[in-house]
Amino acid sequence: MTFDSPNPVAPSERSLKSEHDPSDDLLLQRVRNGNQQAMADVFDRYGGMVYSVALRVLKDPQQAEDVMQEIFFQLWRKPDAFVQGRGSLCGWLLVVARNRAIDIVRRRKPSDSPDQVALPSKTNLASETERNLLMERVRDVLKDLPPEQQKSLEMAYFEGLSHSEIADRTGDPLGTVKTRIRLALIGLRKALVA
Amino acid sequence: MTGNEHISQEDLALHALQTLPEGEAAAVRRHLAKCALCRDELAVLSAEVALAGLSVMQHPVPAGARQRFLDRIAADAAVSKVSGKHEARGQVLPFLRAAWIPWAMAAALAILAILLGVKNDALNKELRLASIQVAHLKDQSAQARQVLDLLTSHSAQRVLLTAGKKSVEPTGRAIYLAASGSLVFQASNLNLLAADKTYELWIIPVDGKPIPAGLFRPDASGGASVVMPPLPKGVPAKAFGVTVERAEGSETPTAPIVISGATASTAGE
Repeated sequence: MTFDSPNPVAPSERSLKSEHDPSDDLLLQRVRNGNQQAMADVFDRYGGMVYSVALRVLKDPQQAEDVMQEIFFQLWRKPDAFVQGRGSLCGWLLVVARNRAIDIVRRRKPSDSPDQVALPSKTNLASETERNLLMERVRDVLKDLPPEQQKSLEMAYFEGLSHSEIADRTGDPLGTVKTRIRLALIGLRKALVA
Repeated sequence: MTGNEHISQEDLALHALQTLPEGEAAAVRRHLAKCALCRDELAVLSAEVALAGLSVMQHPVPAGARQRFLDRIAADAAVSKVSGKHEARGQVLPFLRAAWIPWAMAAALAILAILLGVKNDALNKELRLASIQVAHLKDQSAQARQVLDLLTSHSAQRVLLTAGKKSVEPTGRAIYLAASGSLVFQASNLNLLAADKTYELWIIPVDGKPIPAGLFRPDASGGASVVMPPLPKGVPAKAFGVTVERAEGSETPTAPIVISGATASTAGE
């Protein structure tokens, strides 16, 4: 198993009142009006997740914090970069964090702007309880994937390797690598419908 | 994947992961621009890519990161407020915007000064705490030095208390911590020695040859101390002994042994 399985950070006390927390949409509306407290709430809600993804890719706390700070500052300056109705803010932040971190690892220019990432998700990720449950499901699903699918997805996701680079490393045919990545992602879909 | 053909799910997955080579990625983008079906499929795959991010072990944000972020947006908000503009939050006529630039810069500098002031206060507080800690360590160090001086000073009065008034034999007490190689030894009623002689303390290890543990000469009353001589760490002792050696000391003990004592664990053997 190459993906992290345990979660050492216990749900904070906020999870007890998460059902009463304002929705992401409401927070973003306040951010658009320049409400700093709303932006602080967004940071509190998703800062750890964004930092954790960046840290997993970069393996450097300072660089990971830089990525995190930059993403949230961009959201503060341009909250409309995240288009409401096109997905969850949580998923959007995770994708942007991963992409920014991979850009640094691969020493390439930022390859997308946040407004090019669209994520449909009906899951209420604004709720910490829901997020924690989903995390558990995702880890369970990944754990059950065949090892070669896990490895291929890990190399693509956390190292940003292309399918040909993965094929070079593993010695597997290109088509096989592509299929494994695709199947791994299909497998992840189960976490959403579980 | 080009032309009117839809993009395979495999390639869409790689595109969602941003791991397609640039040439292929450009072709995918061209197709996506005109194919709603593939766009929808890509959106689903992107959600799955986001899910992979949820698998990572969660870490709290670094200490101070939240405050750094809040300071940054506060400064940004203040500048925006003073200049009356924010790209996404309002429109200002160009000539007005230009007129506000010096004010905005002045406000930014003022905010920077305030932030630096806050930072300065925090650093001053840390400095005060550090100074208190240093003073405390100095006190502890002075106290330790005083104890050391007392134990090693020839002018310190050493008195052996006994039950009767009969003459007492030479005695010594060693306190030894093998793990750290720490040793304090105090002797009483030792005979005075000729100028070319010295007493030498020995550690008799459980295994191996005796280890020299310091030279000493008694004061007029026959008292002497050896405090923290340089010793190897982690050598368990089974006994201690004192011999008379040449003034420069010896690498091996010379008989007879003046005083000796076994450690508690070996005394009964």
